[in-house]
Amino acid sequence: MECRAARRMIEEKVDGILPQEAQGELSAHLAACAACAAEERAASAVGPLLRAWTGARAAENAPRLDAMWTRVRGGIGERREAARRRAWVPRWAWLPAAMALAVLALLFYPTGTERQPFNPRSFDVAVEDVESDVATVALVDKGEDLPRVIWIIEDAKS
Amino acid sequence: MPSRNLSVRLAPAALAFLILLLIPGGSGNALAAESVSVEIGSVYASNEGTSMDPVLGNIRGKLQSMFNYSSYKLLDRKRRSLAVGETGAFELPGSRTMRVTPVSAQGNKVRLSVQMTEGAKNLLTTTLGLNRGGMALVGGPSHQAGVLILIISAE
Repeated sequence: MECRAARRMIEEKVDGILPQEAQGELSAHLAACAACAAEERAASAVGPLLRAWTGARAAENAPRLDAMWTRVRGGIGERREAARRRAWVPRWAWLPAAMALAVLALLFYPTGTERQPFNPRSFDVAVEDVESDVATVALVDKGEDLPRVIWIIEDAKS
Repeated sequence: MPSRNLSVRLAPAALAFLILLLIPGGSGNALAAESVSVEIGSVYASNEGTSMDPVLGNIRGKLQSMFNYSSYKLLDRKRRSLAVGETGAFELPGSRTMRVTPVSAQGNKVRLSVQMTEGAKNLLTTTLGLNRGGMALVGGPSHQAGVLILIISAE
């Protein structure tokens, strides 16, 4: 095996993608080639080094990450609480609004008489007695189909 | 959740309250037979223009047949429920007052003792007998450039 092919296989081994059947061939080459064996040792050490470095950085940043997560959790909680409060208000808002509407309806409910047309069912009127201290009063009867009218003739003004 | 439960419990009560408020005069019918609903409408009749207030309903033609005025306008309308023997005072245009007292009557008849005053002056004292739903007219008192015609109805 050429060293160039062995170096490529070393990279594949480090990456964990070297086929099982090729590993024996690579081991045989490494046993015979000191340079490739050194290369293999160096490449194999990189992974654990990287993991150790990443772990050290994570440990360094753990307090900040914890604080950030606490803030995120707090923010999520606040938003949930605000949403709950918003949902609570509309559920209750209709009740005072409806009460206010009812009171207004009660106060301003049209009685129906103000602009309801006059439609009397009868014009039949009996006038039992008529008196006036300051006017002449006449009983005006213009026919059966017309209402009887009490007409006040104000003496001083007529 | 307690607030939700309370809301659910109160909703039917609130609806019932609203319905009761919006049903006009349902409980007054039992008293209707004992009392008389008296209404006084004040119509200003004049020869100023040629208008006829549509609210005068089916008495418009009768007013035009009976009087020689060209304009009829309802100035005011007041309704009051009065028990027999109870006097109701109705303010009229021109500082006049009409006092109406239902007196006892038989069946569907209504008798009203009516007194109309202008200050201390007694313009009219009369007793009218009419059917429930009927109407009587009193006219003549001067008002502005015309006269007042008062529509007295009883229900």
